[in-house]
Amino acid sequence: MKKLLRLSVNGKPREDAVAENALLLDYLRGTLGLTGTKQGCDGGECGACTVLVDSQPRLACSTLAHSVAGRSVETIESLSAEGNLSRLQRAFHEHLGTQCGFCTPGMIMAAEALLRVNPHPDRAAIRASLAGNLCRCTGYVKIIESVEAAAQEQPV
Amino acid sequence: MSTLPDFRLMRPATASDAVRMRALHPSSRYLAGGTDLLPNMRRGLVATDVVIALGDVEELTGLHEEAGSLTIGVGVTLATLAANKLVQERLPALAQAAAGVAGPTHRISATLGGNLCLETRCRFYNQSEPWREANDYCMKLGSDTCRVASKSARCYAAFSGDLAPALMVLAAEVELLGPLGTRVLPIADFYREDGMAWLAMAPDELLVAVRVPLKNGWVSAYEKVRVRGSIDFPLAGVAVALRREGDALVGLRIALTGVSSRPESVSGLEAMAGHPLDDTALAIIARQVKLGTKAMETTLIEVPFRRRITPVLAKRLVERLWGMVGDNPIGPS
Amino acid sequence: MNAFRGVGARLPFVDGIEKVTGAARYTADLPAEGALVGMILRSPYAHAELLEVDTTEALKLPGVRAVITGADCDLPYGVIPIAQNEFPLARDRVRYYGDPVAAVAAVDETTAIEALSKIHLRVRELPAYFHSAEARQPDAVLLHDSKPGNIEREVHNEFGDTAAGFAAADLVREELYECAEVHHAMMEPDAALAAFDAERGHLTLWSVSQVPYYVHLTLARCLKMEMAHIRVIKPFVGGGFGHRTEVLNFEVICAMLARAARGTVRLVLSREETFLTHRGRPESQIRMKLGLAKDGRITACEAEVIQRGGAYGGYGLVTILYSGALLHGLYDIPAVKYDGYRVYSNTPPCGAMRGHGTVNIRFAFESLLNSMAGGLGLDPFEVRRRNLLQAQTETINGLKVLSYGLPECLDWVEKASGWRERRGHLQEGPIRRGLGVACSHFVSGSAKPVHWSGEPHAVIILKLDFDASVTILTGAADIGQGSSTIITQIVAEVLGLGYDRLRLVANDSAITPKDNGSYSSRVTFMVGNAALDAATDLKRLLITAAAKRLKVTEEETEWLGEAALVAADPAQRISFDEVVEEALVGTGTLMVKGTFTCPPEFQGGKHRGGAVGSTMGFSYTAQVVEVSVDTELGKVTVEKVWAAIDCGRAINPMSVEGQVQGAIWMGMGQAISEETVYEQGRHQAANLLDYRVPTMVESPDIAVHIVESLDPNGPFGAKEASEGPLSGFPSAFAAAIEDAIGLRFKELPITQMRVFDALQKKPPLAVVDAIPAVPAKGGA
Repeated sequence: MKKLLRLSVNGKPREDAVAENALLLDYLRGTLGLTGTKQGCDGGECGACTVLVDSQPRLACSTLAHSVAGRSVETIESLSAEGNLSRLQRAFHEHLGTQCGFCTPGMIMAAEALLRVNPHPDRAAIRASLAGNLCRCTGYVKIIESVEAAAQEQPV
Repeated sequence: MSTLPDFRLMRPATASDAVRMRALHPSSRYLAGGTDLLPNMRRGLVATDVVIALGDVEELTGLHEEAGSLTIGVGVTLATLAANKLVQERLPALAQAAAGVAGPTHRISATLGGNLCLETRCRFYNQSEPWREANDYCMKLGSDTCRVASKSARCYAAFSGDLAPALMVLAAEVELLGPLGTRVLPIADFYREDGMAWLAMAPDELLVAVRVPLKNGWVSAYEKVRVRGSIDFPLAGVAVALRREGDALVGLRIALTGVSSRPESVSGLEAMAGHPLDDTALAIIARQVKLGTKAMETTLIEVPFRRRITPVLAKRLVERLWGMVGDNPIGPS
Repeated sequence: MNAFRGVGARLPFVDGIEKVTGAARYTADLPAEGALVGMILRSPYAHAELLEVDTTEALKLPGVRAVITGADCDLPYGVIPIAQNEFPLARDRVRYYGDPVAAVAAVDETTAIEALSKIHLRVRELPAYFHSAEARQPDAVLLHDSKPGNIEREVHNEFGDTAAGFAAADLVREELYECAEVHHAMMEPDAALAAFDAERGHLTLWSVSQVPYYVHLTLARCLKMEMAHIRVIKPFVGGGFGHRTEVLNFEVICAMLARAARGTVRLVLSREETFLTHRGRPESQIRMKLGLAKDGRITACEAEVIQRGGAYGGYGLVTILYSGALLHGLYDIPAVKYDGYRVYSNTPPCGAMRGHGTVNIRFAFESLLNSMAGGLGLDPFEVRRRNLLQAQTETINGLKVLSYGLPECLDWVEKASGWRERRGHLQEGPIRRGLGVACSHFVSGSAKPVHWSGEPHAVIILKLDFDASVTILTGAADIGQGSSTIITQIVAEVLGLGYDRLRLVANDSAITPKDNGSYSSRVTFMVGNAALDAATDLKRLLITAAAKRLKVTEEETEWLGEAALVAADPAQRISFDEVVEEALVGTGTLMVKGTFTCPPEFQGGKHRGGAVGSTMGFSYTAQVVEVSVDTELGKVTVEKVWAAIDCGRAINPMSVEGQVQGAIWMGMGQAISEETVYEQGRHQAANLLDYRVPTMVESPDIAVHIVESLDPNGPFGAKEASEGPLSGFPSAFAAAIEDAIGLRFKELPITQMRVFDALQKKPPLAVVDAIPAVPAKGGA
């Protein structure tokens, strides 16, 4: 059954009629057309659907849309909302932290969450924080370098 | 394929409301972090017409110390537990167990309660509906036969929560809320050796909190074997709490996960009290841990390995803790 | 002004911005308002005769728009024209658990699921075979009637005199190696979108393919449609690694559904279904025998390979041929005998996977070479140096080697890893460290395409129009490996233009020229050469136009890309816009075509199957792997990898590094944890929890050094960089473990379980056949 869902998505308040059994992932991709958030597995195994809920990373495939009512959801589309790439997006682009790009939105959102609480993480912290996000192209080397590069641009 | 079966979503504001809702809808399911329940629902493992989401129940998210014990609400997330200074210092086994569950993003959603009630797992059960149908299902869902042990009268699905063994060696108690009020029991008594009914909880009860004594002189640790350093469930997990006075072992508790349908408390360790941790003691530990390791073919990783490595891991943890106290005779207070 | 460099620049991917912003649309992301939901009913049996597929009830269900079965397509397909034995939906027989049997298109997912449950199968179950040995038993039921013994393809060849070679050897050893089946596990699950224009009878298919052209051919064949009525578009693709180098059943099924439903159908497979679609690297048994002289010279090699190929042909015969062919071309070996058996089994079909055909046999070869080096008291580097090829040369099986940077690769990894100082000196305490080395190679495109039509191997079109921008039109499929970027860099280099003038449009059969696709690492070499050809032609036209406008001869004109001037009088200068204006006078829009064709002499030896393995240039890699081993728990950690690659010329060094790191890491996955698992043919690890793709935690730093051997035929000297490095990892890893704990592993993956069990059985450090810690002699 559909019910009214009120929340903030990418900084804008929204009210949508959403089925009670809808996953956050399906709400974002289906209802809102925010297809930057990807589905890479059959549930909770790959991290490709990582979004931020109140600045914390969440798996949109293992979260009910209604369970984030009243919260602030951010997807990859929010980071370059004003047209230009964010620090992390630029770093992933310029340091080849992305190859096929399918894990990239989830990876960047997980990294964004990390940098918000730990602006200058060491490699161990990067590995620990992104360990739930699988990538099949890069071997992770350039992903780690991308996060480091973004962190270096961050004011100390 | 991601459509979940149809259900009504209820969002109680208090624990007693939740229990009331549950009483009205006996086939409902509680939802906390969702990292276990929702993937299982997506695979058709859980059918329910009502989901009671506990996310708004603030009273379940408390973490406070009083009268020499720490009370932790079941809604406290694993990330919060792992990062809590008091837990890190006084209950390291719990912090280590919480810090190692699944992957970092899971831990931000996943809760203490969810991990303690984690659905038992099996390679014949955690499969898609077409897979299970092609296999004529299994005892845990849809059939009378356990595919792990075909003559068995019970289901052998394995419990693989990390926190339970840690809390067992820390002598924790769980608090359950039912329609008639609360009851408290030792955490070991919260579990049963049955892959289908592994929680000793009445259908109308809700796990609300865990109380862990903060005892001086004990040290503890948790470690597990898994294939990857993240995401994976434990193939075998070992928690140890130990108390050493001089050259004598005053107390030793070991509990295991991933090797049975319940977290296993290793028995027969009392005899070592007062003795040093010598080769004889280590041999006893290894033997007793082996006895408690009842791994069956529930994972894709073979049983003999899981059975053999568990005692090795246990011995190593005991030796490490013994050494830690030795280096620092007062021990962590 | 543009800060610009072309070839050699560490250019971010030309399509990278879309990827980091989430704007990139993959197949499942494409807007398709009102599209029907497609779903596939798959066989619950591993092997059965299909007596009846009853769709009556499903068709009656409200909301169901189409139900199709094997009866709807009676023409088999398959990537190899001579080995087509797969139907999009099974007819008469199902051969593996997961084999598609029927499909539905419905208004929503719930209806589609219900419709599937209302399709009833009547079958007669047949004996099923899950391992090569069972399938090869004399009384086994044949999966395909025309293939006795369930052998899809046998290969037997001998080059040189192996008997004489072994007789002349000082040390001969034979070992059995086993490799589990692995899967690509690219991050994007399979998906297709098909739109059927019922009025015109035209079909458009969007899919995740690496080979849209083959998809186009197959749709025409299976749907019995004119090719002209079909359009195939490849949007962004989330990796492939070979999974998508052949037409996959769901692509044809999606098109069939759209036509049957007379509308648009989206078919998004689950991760489990993507695993079942498979086409991965086969489970292999390899018997490897080598003869070595005292000085380390290889005198002979004999190998027998048995591959469990799964239920259908696919690329199988190419895989089994590759395994033999690529025993050659890395070292100078005077005699090689090869016996290969590709076996049908009731498991999902195997196919091409990164390092096609060479990975497992390279593991066996390099492992045995390392072990025999120890037996002879030689350092593994020295043994390899004794057996180097001398470019330019032709191998005994007719493969040409025109550039060969392996010696420099060996030198670099030896030095960077501190091999001489550190190897054998890392063993302290319960955590032991070890180093291992291996080499590997791979083709830069198969010199003979599978569909031989007499056309060039690659075609590129450059469009220059009034707006003074250049549009590159290509059919080469960028699936994340960065081929669009490489092509753009080549065009930019030749024309001297800034990237802001260049656009690349790829993979729309209505717009872009045909391309065979992204497989066998062919794109940089072949399409790169076509791009070079096109850009060179366009530049010539532009210089002519510039000369005309400047009123001088072409020889007197200097081309600066963004401008042209009179060489003798630089003040006489015109902008690129003016050049374009002049170039379009009287002709209008310029369309310049470039092509590339591999000359026949590169297309392999004359023996049967000799085309497989033939290429114009091999990449070469040497790598050293450092591990630590927890000797109590058997846990092995990869601490660091040093790799040096000869990729000819690095058109984009950053991209080369990324490819090498990704390849080595994928080799690591196969070496440490990845494997498919079947329970009576049912895939038990068809998810990303049980199929253990390494996470960031166990993934090491991988240092990459590029050796530029400048291949005479590659574009600007370039060769491949993304497959060769994979196959060295497993044996270097095994050697590093042996260096650390003295135990030798011959089965992949080398799991903690295997190491722990071996340590329990043998006292740690009981080194069998000890390898000397430090080589007696210096380097070559």
